[in-house]
Amino acid sequence: MASENQSQSSVDTGSQRLDKDTRETLVGVARHGLLLAWSFVVLFPLYWLASMSLKPPGSANSLPPDWLFLPTVYNYIRLAQDGAFLAAFANSVVMVSASVVLVLLIGVPAAYVLSRYDIPMERDVLVWILSSRMLPPIAVVIPFFVIFRELNLFDSRIGMVFMYVSINLSLVVWVMKAFFDGIPETLEEAARVDGATRFQGFRKVVLPAAKPGIFSVAIISFIFAWIELLFGLVLTNFKAVPVTLFVYSFIGSRSIEWGMLAAASMAMILPVVVFLVAVNKYLAAGLSFGVVIKE
Amino acid sequence: MSTQTQTETTTTSETGLARLRALWNDYLPYWFVAPMVLVMVLITFFPGAYDLYLSVIEEPTFDVFAAEFVGLSNYATAFGRGGALHSFIITVTVVVSALALESVLGFGLAALVAGVESERLQSFYRVLFIVPMAVAPVSLATIGRIMLNSEIGVIPYLIEATTPFAAPAFLSEIPLLTVVLLDTWNWTPFMFIIFYAGLSSVPDTLIEASKVDGAPLWRRYLHVIIPYMKPVVFVATLIRMIDLFRTFGVVYGLTQGGPGTATQLVSINIYEQMFINNSPGVAAAIAVVYLVFVVAIANIVIAKVGFEGVWD
Repeated sequence: MASENQSQSSVDTGSQRLDKDTRETLVGVARHGLLLAWSFVVLFPLYWLASMSLKPPGSANSLPPDWLFLPTVYNYIRLAQDGAFLAAFANSVVMVSASVVLVLLIGVPAAYVLSRYDIPMERDVLVWILSSRMLPPIAVVIPFFVIFRELNLFDSRIGMVFMYVSINLSLVVWVMKAFFDGIPETLEEAARVDGATRFQGFRKVVLPAAKPGIFSVAIISFIFAWIELLFGLVLTNFKAVPVTLFVYSFIGSRSIEWGMLAAASMAMILPVVVFLVAVNKYLAAGLSFGVVIKE
Repeated sequence: MSTQTQTETTTTSETGLARLRALWNDYLPYWFVAPMVLVMVLITFFPGAYDLYLSVIEEPTFDVFAAEFVGLSNYATAFGRGGALHSFIITVTVVVSALALESVLGFGLAALVAGVESERLQSFYRVLFIVPMAVAPVSLATIGRIMLNSEIGVIPYLIEATTPFAAPAFLSEIPLLTVVLLDTWNWTPFMFIIFYAGLSSVPDTLIEASKVDGAPLWRRYLHVIIPYMKPVVFVATLIRMIDLFRTFGVVYGLTQGGPGTATQLVSINIYEQMFINNSPGVAAAIAVVYLVFVVAIANIVIAKVGFEGVWD
């Protein structure tokens, strides 16, 4: 390390100091080179998937690849006529959306209380809440598999909604607590002075101020539930199958229809890309469980 | 007479309503936390306790008293021919290497993007680099199966067409590395976006001051910028670690734990014990050990690094 420092200082004192501009250009070129390289890593699989979904059947996986081809929506039309796909897609939309509404209804008021009231052992309570995310889903799902069969909740949308709530509740509570912490209490106090009840103060004053937080945590919860495979695999077999399980079911089937598989994956990915871009400003706040926004 | 009773009932129901409203407002915090506490108990204590119960009985039955207690034999089976230890080692390997790779890459990318001068270009990269998160792990696994396939995959083809090297058989020769690389593609964006936000919060004055010292770039990061961002680095790493222990879809879709047991994560092992070997006792035994293991590690990390700075 010492020699490194030495060479550094000798470079600095040498004639290269004059070439500060050259060095900055070099750094800039290296920076953009690396960024372009990673952009390629990010985009190539997605490009490949998209092109597979748009290639006519038979040429989806020909090697050398058909870099130039006449795009066709054949696979998407087939997909749109596939009852199993449509059912799974609709299931996912309904179950995941319902779980997001429910997890907000349960988590947001609780986060408000954690933010505003003195809770005994608050830190332990918060770690307990976070611990629900530490529990591996496979360990959680086994008891629910046994119980759901007894309660007739196996292969039901309600059961799946509950499981989706379970993966996102800790996220919602943590993120919303951080958001509420950032909203000055004087706002509600003013409302209370004007004769509002505690509940009105929460609903009419605090909630509107927390809208960006609610919006972003809703979208992030949606994504985490949307990409979940295990619960569908264990707790459904026909009626409540989510779209992840539909995609999975292609694997292992003897004659994989690559084009349709690619189209189904595209249909799963595109809405989430739109969501991610929409929430991009608050994404870090949400994903970091509310830690980043505390600046 | 009838009208009188009617008015009487309305007044009582009105006072009843008012009383309800008072009850609602007076105990508001309790109503607000009650559903959350209920669900939390259902998803933390209940599965833990039930796994424990399943792990010490012969056969799951609803009549708790009819269950046959078998002691620790399920645990013995799990760590004997169940291969639990092997899957713990595989899991820890994947978690540690993916976490290291994703943290370093995520931080590097965040630092690179934060240094881009054009603001439009900066936000372009920021949006582009989060896109892989939109891909469900199981979809990524299917894409990986196609693109990495030794016969029809485009990536082996490109490797052999553009380099003098023979492409490795990703799914049979280096399955574990392939799993780590796919997860890295999928979840580096998570680290990137949090680190990027953390970097943006470092005050310019701090960066300027460190520049005046003439310290080289890497030292400025190591001694000034990263310490300032400590809470952010800590939380991102902790949450990613917790999520890595939950990994299932990408491996199940890619290799189903194979070839052999080369990529048999604990999650996969439990799944197979439960649904392929039909031994819920063994599955639950591994699940209990896994639960304790992950919660212990996470809590040790929390206690060691502490929540100072994260909370206050």
